[in-house]
Amino acid sequence: MDPQPEPVSYICGDCGGENTLKPGDVIQCRECGYRILYKKRTRRIVQYEAR
Amino acid sequence: MEGAGGGGSGGGSGVSYQRFPRVRIREMKDEYMKFELRDTDASMANALRRVMLSEVPTIAIDLVEIEVNSSVLNDEFIAHRLGLIPLCSERAMEMRFSRDCDACDGDGECPYCSIEFQLNVRCDSDQTLDVTSADLHCHDHRFLPVDVAQRALAAEAAGGYDAPEQRGIIIVKLRRGQELRLRAIARKGIGKDHAKWSPGATVTFMYEPEIHINEELMETLTHNEKLSWIESSPTKVFDLDPKTDQVIVADPEAYTYDEEVIKKAEAIGKPGLVEIYAREDSFIFTVESTGAIPAYQMVMNAIEVLKQKLDAVRLSDDIQDNDDQFGDLTRNIQGAAL
Repeated sequence: MDPQPEPVSYICGDCGGENTLKPGDVIQCRECGYRILYKKRTRRIVQYEAR
Repeated sequence: MEGAGGGGSGGGSGVSYQRFPRVRIREMKDEYMKFELRDTDASMANALRRVMLSEVPTIAIDLVEIEVNSSVLNDEFIAHRLGLIPLCSERAMEMRFSRDCDACDGDGECPYCSIEFQLNVRCDSDQTLDVTSADLHCHDHRFLPVDVAQRALAAEAAGGYDAPEQRGIIIVKLRRGQELRLRAIARKGIGKDHAKWSPGATVTFMYEPEIHINEELMETLTHNEKLSWIESSPTKVFDLDPKTDQVIVADPEAYTYDEEVIKKAEAIGKPGLVEIYAREDSFIFTVESTGAIPAYQMVMNAIEVLKQKLDAVRLSDDIQDNDDQFGDLTRNIQGAAL
């Protein structure tokens, strides 16, 4: 939808370093080459029904 | 209790079934109440019980906006736990349901339909930090969580010290560095929509038992037979008078309609030793409140809600659509002969 998708930051599963990825990028840590990255929690407020 | 009996003046030639129920209060505390309801029938008693449980409004957290949550529990889990915290709801009857409120857009600050709570906790020590209902902050002190309001009263009595068992309802535990920051919106609701809005912990009624001992037949029993017959009841309903050696009814309300004593009498070979009836117009109610509203207020509000429901039926008799739906009911209430 967005013309220019924002880069999203991830945390490396091995070294813990922060990585920013854009769509189409190889999923790999820039520091250590580890291939498991974790997405960070949104900084936006999230709304839930208390039911 | 008048008015709940229904109007008997309509219908002219019809027979009126109007009755005037009586209430006698036996015990009344904030969270517990016991009373007798007489001169009415099971439908009325059960309507009252059901309205108390599921149609008396209270306030509960209904919407949670989470800003930061680095605790071990996920957002949904915390939102659900917040919803279940009982809040003081004395004002619930005069408040509006969020869906009927035209003074706001339905999220957040509205003096008529919602109350905002803030929770902002971060653990900075090596000890585990308990986040409790006492951490929920609200600008309006009439809507405190139930236990926090009770603690304030208890602390006043004890000269400013908290009792250890009154530290609030635990929502989540935080370790060093974890944080929970959120905004919660409490709304008016009823138990029928979600049990978190139910003001009742337990509401029960029992039929008052009527116990008749056949004294003549009882005297044909030996002392030991009497004792074993008394013992056959799982609850202590009967006792032996030490002076006269007669069987007496010690506590008729302890009887649980188990019929053990009747079976025992037959086993001894004395059928008809005792006759027990359930009085169909007398009920003993036990009401336990969650603390959201006092037990007494719960009963009064239930009667009020029941009256509003009956009014809706009565007022609808001139509308054709409603006549199809409620026709028979309206005719019965007004006592018109069919």
